[in-house]
Amino acid sequence: MAKPKTDPLSRLPLTPAVFHVLLALADGERHGYAIMQEVAATTNGRIKMGPGTLYGTVKRLLESQLIEESDERPDPHLDDERRRYYRLTGVGEQVVRAEARRYADMASLARGKKLIGKAALVAQPGGGA
Amino acid sequence: MKSDLPGQDFGVSQGIYGYLLRAYPLRHRAQYGAAMAQLFRDQCRDAWNESQTWGLCKLWLRVLPDLACTSILERLAALNERKTMTEKLANLCAFRGTPAAIFVAVFGVVFLVVFIISVAITFILPESYASTARIKVESDAPTTNGQPLAYGSYFIQTTFEIIQSQLVLSNVIARLNLNVEWGKKYFAGQTLKSSETMEMLKPRMQLAQVKNTKLIAITVYSDDKQEAAQIANAIAESYRDYRVDSVANMKAQGMETLLQGYQMQEDQIHTAQSAVESLRQELKIGGEATASQSAQEQPYWDGKRNLSQLLDLHKLLYAKILAEKMDGQMPQSTLVQIVDRAEPGRAPVKPNKTLNIVLGAVAGFLLATLAGAAFAFLSHLIGQRSRKNAGAV
Repeated sequence: MAKPKTDPLSRLPLTPAVFHVLLALADGERHGYAIMQEVAATTNGRIKMGPGTLYGTVKRLLESQLIEESDERPDPHLDDERRRYYRLTGVGEQVVRAEARRYADMASLARGKKLIGKAALVAQPGGGA
Repeated sequence: MKSDLPGQDFGVSQGIYGYLLRAYPLRHRAQYGAAMAQLFRDQCRDAWNESQTWGLCKLWLRVLPDLACTSILERLAALNERKTMTEKLANLCAFRGTPAAIFVAVFGVVFLVVFIISVAITFILPESYASTARIKVESDAPTTNGQPLAYGSYFIQTTFEIIQSQLVLSNVIARLNLNVEWGKKYFAGQTLKSSETMEMLKPRMQLAQVKNTKLIAITVYSDDKQEAAQIANAIAESYRDYRVDSVANMKAQGMETLLQGYQMQEDQIHTAQSAVESLRQELKIGGEATASQSAQEQPYWDGKRNLSQLLDLHKLLYAKILAEKMDGQMPQSTLVQIVDRAEPGRAPVKPNKTLNIVLGAVAGFLLATLAGAAFAFLSHLIGQRSRKNAGAV
């Protein structure tokens, strides 16, 4: 198992999939399906993670100790007890905060250069195949 | 959430996905296989509730590439955890079963992935309609001895270039208000410059000469069939108007030159008439020429002959002006005739769905055969080496 790095900045930048999963867990612990739904909801359906991507990401996050599996379960009558729940670790929370700050800084930079808010040009395919 | 998913579809999808999970390394499967299968089941239920069978198809279109990519990544990650090359290869090919079973499994996965991706791309690609207008063009080049000059490739090439030039396309853009319409359609309402619209329009046009005829086919492609027909017709009409206007302008300039010459001749005639009349009075000459013309009268008779020539030329010029005026009043539409107007296409011409799907199936078959054979052969070799090593120990 990989040794966790103490400095959150040394783990940046995160891949989009990792960042979305960490953001989904920022509100509290969730199981895989709930993470997938949260990511889809927060991106207006643009990102729908497949099982391979989701659990590949979860595996790497567990190995790097940014998330951990939770033993606690909600009321077993309300949920499938076979589901595995995940939550952020302390380091994971620091890392997702640092990444969010990095995105905010970049957004501020782009706003300063008036790149945000301007209508993006859309390219039109020609009569190609 | 309650599911109204039919049991048969549910079972088939789950069964296929469960089988395809074998593409992942054993360790990954042991840790996450059940959770992945459960997540897939949840997604199946959502997809069915969203749009039933089509929803399931869309889910598979998402899940198969995801499965293919992540299973390769997991196998590569597992490779790095192994020590020897043999172990690495064994892990890569760690399917259980005979080489024939491995071939079938790899063939099935690769064929499905390639075929489904090609189908998905075919249906995702934007559809393009084509409409063609045909025009008959005549050369307006000067003629030699009443015979028209050769109708050669220079004329056709020049016509093609003029049709694609600002002279014609700016009128098309103005007629159809394309700066505004395409601004709304493609640039969130921002009005385009004519030069920008023209750059977008040119790649959508295709010009071709109908073999051994004076006909030119103007084809326009668009994602909107009505728009394609409108643009093709507008190009044909704009080119016709351009030719008619340019000939009319040329004739107007010619007429102006003729009138100026006519006026100059009139002035010369008046001057000559005055000079002849002065000589006649000075030399006291009668109206008719006599046989006995003295040398003294010669300037008078020379002047009168000059005047007569000027009057003849003047009459000729007048006749020419009358002829040009009548010619100018004749319609010039015979220079360009719109033979066929463009009609909206019934079906998209691109992408060619049948061809793409067939090509996808063929490519999938070839790739799947190669991949299946390679995996089966590799598995066979590794099995042999493992048995040898076990014998040596």
